[in-house]
Parts: sequence; C-alpha cells; structure tokens
Amino acid sequence: MDNTMAYSLADFNYNDNPDVLSPPADFEQWLEHPGVKAAFSLFEQQMLSAPVVRTEVINNFDHKRRKVINLTSYNYLGLCTHPEVIAAAKAALDKYGLGASGAALLSGTFDLHVELASKLAAFKEKEACVLYSGGLAANMGAIQGLLRKGDVLIMDEKCHKSLIDGGTLAQARMLFFAHNDMDSLVMMLEKNKGARTMVAVEGVYSMDGDLPKLVEIVEICERYHAAIYLDEAHSSFMFGKNGRGVGEHFGVEDRIGIVFGTMSKVLGGVGGFVCSRASTIRYLKCYSSPFQFSCALPPAIVAGVLKALEIATRDSTLRDKLWENVAYFREKLLGMNLNLGDSASQVIPIIIGSSGEKLLSMAIEIQKRGLFLQPVDFPAVPANARRFRLSVSSALTKQDIDEACNIIHDVIAVGLKN
Amino acid sequence: MDQVQDKARIIEVIKENIIKNIDGVNKTDIDTSKSMKDYGANSLDIIEVVSCSMRELNLKVPRSELTDIKNIDELAEKFVQYQK
Repeated sequence: MDNTMAYSLADFNYNDNPDVLSPPADFEQWLEHPGVKAAFSLFEQQMLSAPVVRTEVINNFDHKRRKVINLTSYNYLGLCTHPEVIAAAKAALDKYGLGASGAALLSGTFDLHVELASKLAAFKEKEACVLYSGGLAANMGAIQGLLRKGDVLIMDEKCHKSLIDGGTLAQARMLFFAHNDMDSLVMMLEKNKGARTMVAVEGVYSMDGDLPKLVEIVEICERYHAAIYLDEAHSSFMFGKNGRGVGEHFGVEDRIGIVFGTMSKVLGGVGGFVCSRASTIRYLKCYSSPFQFSCALPPAIVAGVLKALEIATRDSTLRDKLWENVAYFREKLLGMNLNLGDSASQVIPIIIGSSGEKLLSMAIEIQKRGLFLQPVDFPAVPANARRFRLSVSSALTKQDIDEACNIIHDVIAVGLKN
Repeated sequence: MDQVQDKARIIEVIKENIIKNIDGVNKTDIDTSKSMKDYGANSLDIIEVVSCSMRELNLKVPRSELTDIKNIDELAEKFVQYQK
C-alpha cells in the first residue's frame, strides 16, 4: 500500500473478510505501518490518578510515566474530585452497594434516582427528566424513542454521532444542514414540509467549541412546526446567568421542546439525562431501549452527581472562574497567532491544518514535555483542519495556564512556522 | 483512449450506486457536474455510494483525499487515478 498515512479510520469500515470475526486484511496491514502505530499509541493511554489538572499518565509511545498538566478531560468545573462529591458518593456506596442491580422500570430506581431526575427537571425548568446510564445512550435513546420510520431528523452537520445513531435506529430520514447555515436549514425544512420533523443542534459543538445560532433556529423551527432537540452536553452548568445552558444564554429555553445533558462532564460522574414535557418523558420511558433495557445508574454515582449539581448551581463561583480562565487562555493563544476557529466556549481547538504527520509529531512532542493534550484527526474533523482540542477547567491556575502555554508555544506555534 | 473508457465505466458504476442508495433519482437525470447532495443525498448516503462504488471497482482511495471533491465527475477522476 502506497501513501499509507493518507488512509484513516474512515477507510476500513467495510469488511470483505468472509470471517466476520476477522478485521479487513488491509486494515491489519495498515496498522503495521510505524506512523499508524505511533498515532494509535496516543489512544487509551493510562491515567494513574484522578482526571484533574495535575495528574500522571503512562505514555504508550515510550512507556514512560509522566506528571502532566491535563487539558483533555471534561472536568470543566473540577467537581469530579470535590470533597463533598466524594463524601456523598462514599456514603451512598456504603448504604446502597456497588450497582443498581436492575433496569429502572423494574428494580433499578432508587430514591436517589427520583431525587436527581426531579432536581434536573426543576433546574432545566422542564416538567420531567429521564436518566440514562450513558451519555451516548441518552442521545441515541431519546431520538430512537421519539422518531419513527418516515419521520425526518434534520441535524447540523457537526452533530455528535450519538444523534446520528439515534436516527439510524429510528429509521428516520436523516438530513444534515451545513454548519450553522440557516439557508441550508430552511431549504431542508421546506423540502420536508408536512412530515413529522425534529431538528437537532448542539449547545457547544464539541470539536469546534462554537455555539448554534439558536435564536434564528428557534424562529425558523417555529415557522415550520418542527421540534427542536438541544444537546447541551458541553454547555449545561456553564452558559447562562444561572448556568442552565445556551438555551438560557440566548433567552429561548422555554421555546425548546427537549434538552439533553450529561453527567460525565461538569457533574463529574457518568450518564445522560433528557428533560421535556411530562407526557413526552413518560412516553420515552416506554419506548426508549437504552432506558428500558440497561441497568440503571449506580446509586453512588447518582449521589455524587446530586452533590455536584448542588455545588455547580448554588452560586456562580465556579462558572465565573471558568470564564476567567477561558478569557486568559484565549488571550495567550491568540497572542501566538494560533487559529482557534470560531470557538466561543471552554472548548478551544488549535487548528493545525491538513498534515496528519505534523499533528502526530507535535502531539508526541507536547506529551513528552508534560502536557496531556490530545490531537483530533480526520475523520473526526475535516482533513484540512486537523487540530488539538483544549478543555479549559475552572480548576486551572494562572500558573498552570502559563506553563501550558509555554509548551504550546515551543511545540505548536514554533512548529507551525517551520 | 483507455482512460476515457475507464472513466465512462466508473461513472456508470457511480450512477448505479446513486440510484440504489438515494431515493427518487433516475439514471438519466444524473448530471456529473453536480454533487450527490444536489440529488438529496446526506453524508451517510454519500459514504455508502462511494464505498459501494470502490468495492465494485476494486480500488481504494483514502477518504482524506475526497474532502475537496465537489461533484460526481471529480469523484470519477479521482477513481481513475487509483485504478490498479
């Protein structure tokens, strides 16, 4: 195979091997290439302590342990290790045991689950909430539970795979409008007039850190009687005066029919939740497979998340610190003339360009220097806009940011000039 | 001359796969200067058409090289380059 490095995970999805348990022969061959091996070495690197700012990893590319500054975890408000959160989870672990030992409908619903769902619904100012054991499961399951064959799901082209998987399971007709392009959205709604239609957008796009044009999207969808599904995975508890998300930030939350959020990012645990009208949630619980057929969330996680929710929402201290850090980080990165795309959030891409080799060599160099910053390669992002992606946390100090920026300068900013 | 014949055959294969994977398109309607999106394809449909066509033609173009392709004709040109 020539130009091996031009191939990517986008090229081996089809498998002609007669044995379904064997990967495609050319995939195996591709994996043997030293460059591909190096790229794969960045996957599944072991973290040796909590996913906090100063942590320790074992780098697969040289098997060395390193103390690192972590800019990759989604621990945006640092709540994953908050002492009150840990204490609440430990107490629940003692009282309820390790797992829920059942699906929510039959025996997996504990008093803690009811309390969390009720508090999340109240916080999001919706009538009801359903909890899922995973974030992907929640997005996929909500779409699968609400849409049917013949229904139309129109998504921004940058929407997460979990929403697409939901559409696939529902056998809905899926259409993707050009990112944040309102003419493209209108054209698709116009073509599908009369069909039951849902439009899915994200609060913060996870690879770009930019926001949806939510006010315009709401107005357009109301005109076409299409429901809006808002994925606030990367915006809940951060955006808006009270932290309710971009719906609140743009002043349109009461006009959005259904919202998704996750418990694995700001709330520091795991799982997903969906808030909507009581009748919608009741129906979803009867037809959404990941809710019906998964073991419910472990009680200790629910107790920890409940405490994290309380801390994240009792005042704006952590949010204010987060936005202060974002402003400081951005200023320093822009000072290096780096391309941060249209980021307007705590997710900040540093766009490198089309060279996968350059991205890989910079990634290894940067991690050797003690910065845990992961690259994002094609096909997760366009081939001409490969990047690093920073997750800013409120837990970063100015010293952490300064130290991180020194490494980013030496490896990325200087590397891009050469 | 060979390359012209190859390209014609490749376009034929792509057209067949467009018809199979995108609802409501007739072969005679397909203008190769247009994008599959113009015929209502979403990105998943396009992946399907490209994958099926490459398998049928026994060639493999890296997806990363298809990013800037604007229409069916350019896709066929790219396939010609990768013919074994």
